[in-house]
Amino acid sequence: MSNTDKPKSLRICLAASAGGHVSQLLKLAESWNGYETFCVTTTEVVRDKLSKFGVVYVVGECNRQHPIRVITVLLRCIRIIFKERPDVVISTGAAAGCMLCLLGKMLGAKIVWIDSITNVERLSLSGRMVRYIADLFLVQWPELAIRYKKVEYVGAVV
Amino acid sequence: MIFLTVGTQFPFDRLVKAVDEIVSKNGLDEHIFAQVGTTTYRPRNFEAVSSLEKTLFDKHFSEADSIISHAGMGTIMMALESGKPLLVMPRLSKYGEVVNDHQLAIARKFEQLGYLLAAYGAEDVTEKMKQLKSFVPQDRQSEAKIVADRISIFLNELSDSK
Repeated sequence: MSNTDKPKSLRICLAASAGGHVSQLLKLAESWNGYETFCVTTTEVVRDKLSKFGVVYVVGECNRQHPIRVITVLLRCIRIIFKERPDVVISTGAAAGCMLCLLGKMLGAKIVWIDSITNVERLSLSGRMVRYIADLFLVQWPELAIRYKKVEYVGAVV
Repeated sequence: MIFLTVGTQFPFDRLVKAVDEIVSKNGLDEHIFAQVGTTTYRPRNFEAVSSLEKTLFDKHFSEADSIISHAGMGTIMMALESGKPLLVMPRLSKYGEVVNDHQLAIARKFEQLGYLLAAYGAEDVTEKMKQLKSFVPQDRQSEAKIVADRISIFLNELSDSK
């Protein structure tokens, strides 16, 4: 960590679906220490776990099997990104995190993606989409960093 | 006490039913308590609730001698961090329990590495529950700090260049 006198001036969006994605994101909390943050997750149940990192938006669960819910979640994500204008989006997945990364990038944010440890042999579907626009893309298995370009392995969060 | 948990988001009848039928058939000398979420199957041989608030969940988790669960990463991380013996049954996409088979992949990998036991179908559960009694999981050292440091460097460089 650099100890410059310059104030830290980044507005960071922390995005993770409820469950393992949030658990993995929280393990990385010291990385955004000192920066201004807000959170986006998918269910009310995990609101408390995230509330110490700023405002928590709950956008609802969605996946490929429920196209209408995907649209609802997408609209909520669009509203959040326009309102908050983050400089960086950090996400561990899944679908909502992917949407926020793509939307954030369109508005000029830098993207940090940490693919979940459950993706052992191939990247997650979200990860495969975000890989093309990510500024830092981390995986948790060394094999994946060999298999995919623009992907970095430094260790596992779990 | 064995704590059985399948998350609160999606039902997982296959696991709850498998454990219930084993207890019904063989009896069990250990007490089981379950958080079954939206599972529709109601076990007859042990107490089950749909959801527990965080503090109660943590209490049951820490008091349990062992854990049986779906192969969700949240639960796996808790078990690894507390060193609890864990038996997982991966949710499978072919039964509509999950959208892809990432739970199967992580269960296989982590079982291979000695971090947990896995039952890949209801027929495996009896044998794996026997093994669970004496199972000692491999200790796993989290590398979260290394990953966090990598992200810090990225953020600090970005912040400095602004």
